[in-house]
Amino acid sequence: MSGAGGTTMIQQFDPKTDQYQAGGNGIDWQKDYGTPLVESDVSVTLAIDGVPITVPEGTSVLRAAALAGINIPKLCASDNLEAFGSCRLCSVQIEGRRGMPASCTTPVAEDMVVTTQNAALAKLRRNVMELYISDHPLDCLTCPANGDCELQDMAGAVGLREVRYGFSGENHLDAEKDHSNPYFSFDPSKCIVCSRCVRACEEVQGTFALTIDGRGFDSKVSAGQDEPFMDSECVSCGACVQACPTSTLMEKSIIDEGQPDHSIVTTCAYCGVGCSFEAEMKGDQLVRMTPWKGGDANHGHSCVKGRFAFGYATHKDRLREPMIRDSIDQPWRPVGWEEAIQFAADRIKAIQAKYGRESVGGITSSRCTNEETYLVQKLVRTAFGNNNTDTCARVCHSPTGYGLKATLGESAGTQTFDSVLKSDVIVVIGANPTDAHPVFASRLRKRLREGASLIVADPRYIDLLKTPHMGEGIHLPLRPGTNVALINALGHVVVTEGLEDQDFVSRRCDPEAYQQWRDFIVQEKNSPEHVAEITGVPAESIRQAARLYGKAGNGAIYYGLGVTEHSQGSTMVIGIANLAMATGNIGREGVGVNPLRGQNNVQGSCDMGSFPHELPGYQHVGVPEIRQRFAEVWGVEIDPEPGLRIPNMFDAAIDGSFKALYVQGEDIAQSDPNTQHVEQALTSLECLIVQDLFLNETAKFAHVLLPGASFLEKNGTFTNAERRINRVRKVMPPLAGKEDWEATQDLANALGYPMNYSHPSEIMDEIAQLAPTFTGVSYEKLERLGSIQWPCNEEHPDGTPTMHEETFPIGLGRFGLTEFIETEERSNRRFPLLLTTGRILSQYNVGAQTRRTDNQVWHDEDVLELHPHDAEERGISNGDWVGITSRSGKTVLRARMTDRLQPGVVYTTFHHPGSGANVITTDNSDWATNCPEYKVTAVQLEKVSQPSEWQQRFQTFGRKQQQFLAQATDDASAS
Amino acid sequence: MSGTRLDQLIKMINQIAINNPCNGDVAASSEVVLGHIRKFWARPMKKDIVAHLEQGGEGLEPAALEAVRTLQAEQNMTAS
Repeated sequence: MSGAGGTTMIQQFDPKTDQYQAGGNGIDWQKDYGTPLVESDVSVTLAIDGVPITVPEGTSVLRAAALAGINIPKLCASDNLEAFGSCRLCSVQIEGRRGMPASCTTPVAEDMVVTTQNAALAKLRRNVMELYISDHPLDCLTCPANGDCELQDMAGAVGLREVRYGFSGENHLDAEKDHSNPYFSFDPSKCIVCSRCVRACEEVQGTFALTIDGRGFDSKVSAGQDEPFMDSECVSCGACVQACPTSTLMEKSIIDEGQPDHSIVTTCAYCGVGCSFEAEMKGDQLVRMTPWKGGDANHGHSCVKGRFAFGYATHKDRLREPMIRDSIDQPWRPVGWEEAIQFAADRIKAIQAKYGRESVGGITSSRCTNEETYLVQKLVRTAFGNNNTDTCARVCHSPTGYGLKATLGESAGTQTFDSVLKSDVIVVIGANPTDAHPVFASRLRKRLREGASLIVADPRYIDLLKTPHMGEGIHLPLRPGTNVALINALGHVVVTEGLEDQDFVSRRCDPEAYQQWRDFIVQEKNSPEHVAEITGVPAESIRQAARLYGKAGNGAIYYGLGVTEHSQGSTMVIGIANLAMATGNIGREGVGVNPLRGQNNVQGSCDMGSFPHELPGYQHVGVPEIRQRFAEVWGVEIDPEPGLRIPNMFDAAIDGSFKALYVQGEDIAQSDPNTQHVEQALTSLECLIVQDLFLNETAKFAHVLLPGASFLEKNGTFTNAERRINRVRKVMPPLAGKEDWEATQDLANALGYPMNYSHPSEIMDEIAQLAPTFTGVSYEKLERLGSIQWPCNEEHPDGTPTMHEETFPIGLGRFGLTEFIETEERSNRRFPLLLTTGRILSQYNVGAQTRRTDNQVWHDEDVLELHPHDAEERGISNGDWVGITSRSGKTVLRARMTDRLQPGVVYTTFHHPGSGANVITTDNSDWATNCPEYKVTAVQLEKVSQPSEWQQRFQTFGRKQQQFLAQATDDASAS
Repeated sequence: MSGTRLDQLIKMINQIAINNPCNGDVAASSEVVLGHIRKFWARPMKKDIVAHLEQGGEGLEPAALEAVRTLQAEQNMTAS
């Protein structure tokens, strides 16, 4: 649909040619083939305008023609939607058949002879177009779709020269526009009622927010119950805008700026789905992000964040130059890169000289590229000379790494996203895909509409359970903190009711570990009847769910931070893997254990050796042979002992033994639990180096500020939740002059450890040399294949979509014992309620990006959701200020009643720093990985009239730090 | 070393012990704790928990205590 494709781009990748060759399947992702791809073992050969073409059985004549290079005019058809047959523009003639059937709804047949163009067809098409245009404004020259309008293209294609009906009859030209959505406008006067938007909302997104209202001449596209878009169920994913062949649904950025002049395919920097987008540009300005049909993760779909919320990249708050200061009570001093880097290096060296080699460390970012992450941990292990490196995955998916490595032998999800389309029973535990992984959720919902069953284990009644037209759904509304009890009960039923896959277990799993698990799981304490009281879930529901999953042909488990962020996060991950192995749901499409990663590169940052105990490729620092290999390439000896994890760093900082920290792209002051503890730790540091796009909460405690580059400003790769390595391509120069890896390289050099990369591809080459699962990865191959799912090595040169097909990396799968141990964080008389935290669709993580976009209109403050029963007991009404007190601290949020939660459980999000959601979360953590227990905090609520003390302090401190920044910026512009 | 940090270390090691009860087999449980500490704990953390043992090891779960004893023996061996 894009009119922007053909122009030469500044980068090497030209989707029109490269991608065409890339897949090797002859698909040109910029072309619309009219109807979707059909898969069939049977081939059918037919002739279209004398051209012979062979296609899979079930393919439409329209698509077959497009594949043969014959472009039949069309309006209501699009290859991401099922054929609809309403516009009749794609009519053809077929030898031996009567009339002029629509080619989009006509399947091919063997030896069919099709004519797509003759006088009769031309006349029919002109007549069709004439009718359309008789009720369409003729303002093409000033229309925002000018240059990218299918209606205009078709008028040209059919040779429309006159409209005999005139334009004075009854029409829709005065229909009222709807500008309510911040990102796109709805102009019904331009609508041709082709239903593409309605179908996209249903088939692609799965929300069913749009409908055709009225009949005949009165038919019109309507959001919800004839509401403005913003008041409807619309989630602003952009699928309708993408589908619209006219300017009826049009991006406001295009209305304002005009059509783009070139585009570059890159990877979204929001969630772990890792969607491919075409960044559509005018000069070095980004005017539109269009989901890329050739993207292996998203297949041309998007969500409100990736599609529209890119304005932060050019926001006025972006840091534009490096800055330094001696103490956090001083204003910032803008300096050149060289001075800032030297200042940082001198500080680090002095601190190490005074307090020892282990007194400094670094934190890598799950938002930065693989290459940047790799470089930061390399800097720590070489230039700092210790293993004090960690990453924000510590606070989200570290238990996944631990649990999956212990059981399946690899710290990664087992499937592709597409695998869900072959699942019969889908279990979602502690995840909220429609909000946190929306593009994957759309595919999941598609499978649910096809009849797959859904089991959701979550304290909240999540939106997935409200999927329109889905099959069977079971909700297990468990009490926060009781996951392990629940998974044990599911395992108990599978074993005691004979639902195990004995063949799989005996072939693929370690017999001794299995037997131990089996002896454990059959014990009465793990029965649904016993755990019902612990979890709050009726025994019969648990049995029903276990039977459904146990008997499924293909059972797939998807889970999120509701699994990992608990004191038993790692145990729960092991429990999930146990259940999948026991039922043989591993090693083929449609099944598996699938962690849904929060941030874009959580998988990658873990793969790249960010953890203090593991070198890149999950290789333990304690193994001499592994260290030796790294020492040879890196030219220094590696410390054989693991380093400090983030929470250990905080404790050591407060204790006085840890003095300097380099933080790339993570806002620990907002995202980590027990904020006051984190603030105390940060204040204790003598040198805090923060590299970020904005003056985030952590940067307010910093001594060195290195301006970061957004994903649009650099080259590299991200690895999504399906282990898919996708290219990030630079579409504009870095605002402050350096890509993030360049700054890290400079710091290493200033510290005396030489780094001389000239392009991230060289960093990837080094990664391929050192990480066994990456040996076959290169930028050249990424260009050729589009994306690669690791492991990619000699055995799997093109990557590995499904893991563990034949064996596990550890040979046999290992069942682990999963004793349920109640968390120490429990409710009592003082703190009678349990708070759990989560995310919302429109905001992303700490909100540093999305809060600086119009996504704010959906969620401009974090609120406390609570059940009306709990509210009534405390005299709280909707909209009241509520003080929330835990053992850690107190904050104040506005109350919102909901029956999504059970009484006794309250919920909030953490997207706004001033909310202080993490002031109340505690430093309780997973026993194995120290992943914080964000999901369970015992609290009490009371009606209050003013912000908490912390919030007042936070505001004062924040204002002061903003002034320090403003002064620096003024100085810089004055000089 | 501050009380908070030591308290945290004790809490962490006890948590490892409690979460790996090995059907009540303290020796097996202590093996798991020891393996875990070796694999995941940083040098200063190991040093500090051993120092705590030398101060009497108050508050350590039996399996954790046993693991720290072994760790101490190893450290003494390396030191000598």
